[in-house]
Amino acid sequence: MIKWFLRGVSQGRLTTRYPRNAEPPPPRYRARALLDPDRVDPSAATECAATCLPGALAADAQGRLRLDAGRCIACGLCTDACPDGSLAIDSSYELASRSRARLVVPAGGDQAQQSGARALGGTFRRSLHIRHIDTGSDGAVEQELASLLSPYYDMQRLGLFFTASPRHADVLLATGPVTRPMEQPLRRTYEAMPEPRVVIAAGTDACSGSIWQAPEVLGGVDRVLPVDVYIPGDPPSPIALLHGLLLAAGRVRDAPSPRLERRPGTAAKASTR
Amino acid sequence: MIHLTEQQCDQERIAGELRAIGGRLLMMFMTGAGDSRELRTIASADGSVSCLRTPITGGSYPSVTPQVPAGHWFEREIHDLWGVVPDGHPRLEPLVVHGPEQPEIALATNGNGTSAHRGAERLSGPGVFVFPYGPVRSGVFEAAQFLVQTGGEDVAYCAQRLFFKRRGAERRISEVPLELAVLVAERVSGTSSVAHALAFSHAIESLARTEVPARAQAIRRVLAELERLYNHLQVAVRVCEDASLSVAQAQFAALKERLHRLAGAVVGSRFLRGAIVPGGARADLDTAAVSLISDTLGHWERDFRRTLAVLLRTDSFLDRLVSAGPLSTRDARDFACVGPIARGSGIDLDTRRDLPYDGYPPFAVALHADGDAMARLEVRFAEVDTSLELIRHSLGPLPGGPIRNPVGAFVRDTALGAAESARGETLYWLQATDDDAVSFCKLRAASFVNYGIFNRVFDSQVLTDFSFIEHSLGLSPAGCDG
Repeated sequence: MIKWFLRGVSQGRLTTRYPRNAEPPPPRYRARALLDPDRVDPSAATECAATCLPGALAADAQGRLRLDAGRCIACGLCTDACPDGSLAIDSSYELASRSRARLVVPAGGDQAQQSGARALGGTFRRSLHIRHIDTGSDGAVEQELASLLSPYYDMQRLGLFFTASPRHADVLLATGPVTRPMEQPLRRTYEAMPEPRVVIAAGTDACSGSIWQAPEVLGGVDRVLPVDVYIPGDPPSPIALLHGLLLAAGRVRDAPSPRLERRPGTAAKASTR
Repeated sequence: MIHLTEQQCDQERIAGELRAIGGRLLMMFMTGAGDSRELRTIASADGSVSCLRTPITGGSYPSVTPQVPAGHWFEREIHDLWGVVPDGHPRLEPLVVHGPEQPEIALATNGNGTSAHRGAERLSGPGVFVFPYGPVRSGVFEAAQFLVQTGGEDVAYCAQRLFFKRRGAERRISEVPLELAVLVAERVSGTSSVAHALAFSHAIESLARTEVPARAQAIRRVLAELERLYNHLQVAVRVCEDASLSVAQAQFAALKERLHRLAGAVVGSRFLRGAIVPGGARADLDTAAVSLISDTLGHWERDFRRTLAVLLRTDSFLDRLVSAGPLSTRDARDFACVGPIARGSGIDLDTRRDLPYDGYPPFAVALHADGDAMARLEVRFAEVDTSLELIRHSLGPLPGGPIRNPVGAFVRDTALGAAESARGETLYWLQATDDDAVSFCKLRAASFVNYGIFNRVFDSQVLTDFSFIEHSLGLSPAGCDG
């Protein structure tokens, strides 16, 4: 055992100071697309939208583009295909939002009708217990969640814990588009939780169903349950997950909408209130 | 490119032909509709791959499973999805389809319920009960259910129930524009994105006879081996967690995180997505990326070896793994297991060598004869060495030239693509239309065949070893379910 002790201390401190200090993503990291709707070339809009597999980019008859970060898988094909400067790739780790409408640029339409905008806050600011449920993910977001327990992220230092029993849980964190066999387990897990309870959709699949437009899949988690926090990402990185969890606890702010500003460098700064 | 030798075969002779070929069953599925329905049975022996084509005119055919056990899940899938009955199948119950008439709770009723699922009926008697574990499990796990029949300590029988996560990936691949389909393949099993993208791309390249440039081949090898590294590390993390070795768990988790960070820095995705396309690679590795990979892996290897050396001298850890979850060579062969599970039971197979692709140099395939959880783990650790060596070989130096050739018009009607994921052989079979689109896709992830032996490895094991055994298999429900 002494050997393990020595191995343990040999590495020094690895843990991020997030959210107190920002955790910069690598420059090439692809988190989501950004759109400047005023710069879109109307003649190319339809062609641009056709490069988007999940339909995160949509063009209307007037040649206007609309970007839904809740569907975006950050493949980057749109920025390769549409060189008019209206699209860019965001490398930010902080993507979560309490409102589905906030993930859309320009906002409006039916998406704006749904708005969670609820967070636990109050007595839950210091500690959250999380019940995870896989509703049909590709398996990567589970590994990112598990890595929140690794020395690099160590989510317990922030008062965040996974719990086995839904009776002990404050947060239901669902990953994946909801497949038909997982609809009932999802509902039953939610019903087993005491109030107040918060539902987080983690990952682009869970936010909207994304690329899985198929009869086997119901769509995003909000087709089944009211969702309070959306964490887009394919899969969301561990920092993105931490940001979403802290957002549910009312400890950080929502990420900005995926609007490409004139000046580059729109990445959100970590903020603690 | 895999050359698929096709031959017609009467429905009575499928099992006989398979035994005559003498190799391993790779896939069984149906194509076509109405009167043109065909059963396709793909098997490999000594590096050659054959496809038996059997017209199915009626609603049934003689099952191959009694003679070729590896057919068991394929035939249940055929029954579920195409409604064709394999006559004489020993256990023809629903596999991939979860009907709304089967609420999960009915499964706990030990055979007295109305459920068509007979998963856990093997034993009855005082004190024997079924413990339904999943699909929502304690901790962060993918959705899968295990019906553990036990009297308290011994696992009398463990039935696995999957396909909670079936998203219809195969149909989706044939629906979307060809140039976007690889994005779907990458997301079938998100931790094996590279292997799925490669297997799919190999099938497309075979349809169009596209050559992959040497530089793209080297990039593909680097990314595929990087993916193998973090998946093998994930198995180590889980097994150490089960053994309550917190320091080892933290160390391996940190080593794994360093690989994901490297992946994010090099191709922009922590799971290496968006890097591989049919015809080559989308992401180039510039000089900075190459030296970042070399430097990172140099330090990484040193830390990995130090941690591993301590782990392999920790008796409390070894005691739990040695002789846990044994899989006999015979079972592994009968059920056509692939990947580290097969190699841990002494079966010498590796897609990278047997169905060669992307210019892999000769390398030693790690084998172990014991077939227990420790053997599977040791095979993975040996493969970490191989992967590091293969990455070094591919990067020194990276060949010049283009990274992508255009995919031209298709010159074949059907093709099979293969790649070795960290979990084993991954297969994509594609059928093309006249206007160069994919009309039908059938994929077979390594986990689909490997989950078939899940109940076998639990024979006469104890409940407390459940997680060791499960995690030593390192399976992906997402890949299995499709």
